[in-house]
Amino acid sequence: MNWPVAPILLPLFTALAALFWGRPGVGRRSLVAGSAAAQLAVSLGLVCATLEGRIFVLGLGAWPARFGIVLVVDLLSALMLALSTLVALASVLYAYAESPTRAEHPLRAPLTQFLVMGINLTFCTGDLFNLFVAFEIMLIASYALLTLEADDWDIKHAFPYVGINLFGSALFLSACGLTYALFGTLNFAQIALRAAPCADDPRLWVLALLLIVVFGIKAGLFPLYYWLPNSYPTLPIPTSALFAGMLTKVGVYVLLRIFGTVLPHELAFAHTLLAVMGGATMLLAVMGAIARNFIRGILSFHILSQIGFMVLAIGLFTPLSVAACILYIIHHIVVKSSLFLIGGVAMRLNGTDDLERMGNLWKRTPWLGALFLCQALSLAGLPPLSGFWGKYLIVVAGLEQAQYALVAVSILASILTLFSMVKIWNGAFWTGSDRVPVRTSDWRWRAMTAVVAGLTCVSLAIGLGAEGVVQIAIEAAERLLDQHAYADAALGFLGKTAANPIP
Amino acid sequence: MSGLRSYIFKAAVRLLFFLVNVFALYLLLRGHNLPGGGFIAGLASAIALVLLSLAIGLEELHRVMRFDPMRMAAAGLAMAAVTGAAPLLFGRPFLEHFDAHLTGLPLLGELHVGTALAFDIGVFLVVVGIACKIMFALGKSTQRLRALVAEEERRYSAPVEQPIEEEPPIRAATNPSTPSPHVS
Repeated sequence: MNWPVAPILLPLFTALAALFWGRPGVGRRSLVAGSAAAQLAVSLGLVCATLEGRIFVLGLGAWPARFGIVLVVDLLSALMLALSTLVALASVLYAYAESPTRAEHPLRAPLTQFLVMGINLTFCTGDLFNLFVAFEIMLIASYALLTLEADDWDIKHAFPYVGINLFGSALFLSACGLTYALFGTLNFAQIALRAAPCADDPRLWVLALLLIVVFGIKAGLFPLYYWLPNSYPTLPIPTSALFAGMLTKVGVYVLLRIFGTVLPHELAFAHTLLAVMGGATMLLAVMGAIARNFIRGILSFHILSQIGFMVLAIGLFTPLSVAACILYIIHHIVVKSSLFLIGGVAMRLNGTDDLERMGNLWKRTPWLGALFLCQALSLAGLPPLSGFWGKYLIVVAGLEQAQYALVAVSILASILTLFSMVKIWNGAFWTGSDRVPVRTSDWRWRAMTAVVAGLTCVSLAIGLGAEGVVQIAIEAAERLLDQHAYADAALGFLGKTAANPIP
Repeated sequence: MSGLRSYIFKAAVRLLFFLVNVFALYLLLRGHNLPGGGFIAGLASAIALVLLSLAIGLEELHRVMRFDPMRMAAAGLAMAAVTGAAPLLFGRPFLEHFDAHLTGLPLLGELHVGTALAFDIGVFLVVVGIACKIMFALGKSTQRLRALVAEEERRYSAPVEQPIEEEPPIRAATNPSTPSPHVS
């Protein structure tokens, strides 16, 4: 019964222990890494259990679901939990490989754990206001991480991030108020039941638009994304991998949850809006990526471009396209984090990530080159790598809906993605130049590459075992769209009442 | 700041510090069923500490009260989290609270106690710690004191801390690995 709270409590207690432990050392490092591995194990256990059709529901404080806050873990939540804990584990291990204990900032480990706690709470929660709280935990930890090891140049770029997210939080709070005024509840399941008959109510449309803006800011959709591509490159590499992998995908997950489970399915105008915004995002962001000439900057713009694909898939809003979106999230989180980490290794070897001053990496470190090729081509969507299947399903879903323009845009964006990946490949790996040093004498890059190799194996497994993953994604999409099953499960938590003393 | 350190202000604060803290305790204890609770009590208590810091100065306050606000907040968070997680050991839902009505106590007579009080004390400590940390940090920056005392520096600062410079760092100009300010 208490399993949904485990992925939240583990990071919380780890963060506290790390805070009290004080200076970083081998002991503290093993504690945090052990906890990250335990979180991954718990999440995988949740995935296995939810695959069998279970939905975990926990009413906090034993209150009945109608009065208290519920945590609900269904298949999609469990998948997201597994991905976030996987990326967190990789980020933690990479940070250990990257720097010695004496160079580690003492607050980075606790803050990262608080960030993971906020992300996991977002995936578990079944309550709109609790979702707001989860966002705040996540955002405050991310503000601190963004400015923790920053000089004033970095802080200047962190400022728009903080500013727009504070604005987004204020909007989110007003959306919560509007929801409560409309439905008298903030529980997802109850909103779903009460909103179902009023799909034609203009007040519900306003709410839907407000939620699109709020989560569009979080996910980085087209008119709202300028805060991202300048702030992410200022982060330390392991943290930026975690941010790139998870934070925007949290926005996509919430869009899926809100439009799939909570709001009525007949909001066609909102879906169309999402699809158009997704199409614009993928094209404009990939153009931004082409214009950049350093690895982290290119990859930061690609986060946005890929978000466009996912949101387009949500906007098409058929069971198949929602499944495609879930598949794309699974693929993207792993690939994007590992690309940031590969960029970090390359940066360490060359001493810079400016493409004009990099080179020689393919000759000196072919394994790193192979890993990069694998992940970059996967990002561009070449078969049989994992990115292909998500894009294929999105294109199929788009053609079924006769959205030819959006399909054409997505294919064009894929080609441009391939182009900018080739740009990194040429600049960093293929170019041979006598003046560029490759510092392979520094043994740390081997450990860092090993972490990336682990993530790449996961990504390859997703690509090669696509049949199974697609089945899981379709299953998750069906459960996500089944509002009545969700409501029955969530409201079935009766809690501790006079008639029912033991929940 | 020196204008505030008049004799009258100091004497008043000496009294107020205890009054406000007693009121905070009152808010904390009545919190579960009546308006009040750990959060508002923590704010009241933090206000008392801020008043004291205005009266005697931040450096003096650090000498008198040797506590690290961060650790205090972390201890409070740990206390709240442990109280919330304790029911898990008995297979009950997270955050469930229990209460008991005790009778025949010496001096007190009847007493109604609940585990929610422990949770509230945790919240109280978090709020006092965070509020003090934020306000003291701001206060120090206006008085040109160092942001962290030596002990905090040992615990929370980066091993290679670079001072934030007045002029833009040279790195930004020469090292293209940092992003250019414009999307070129």
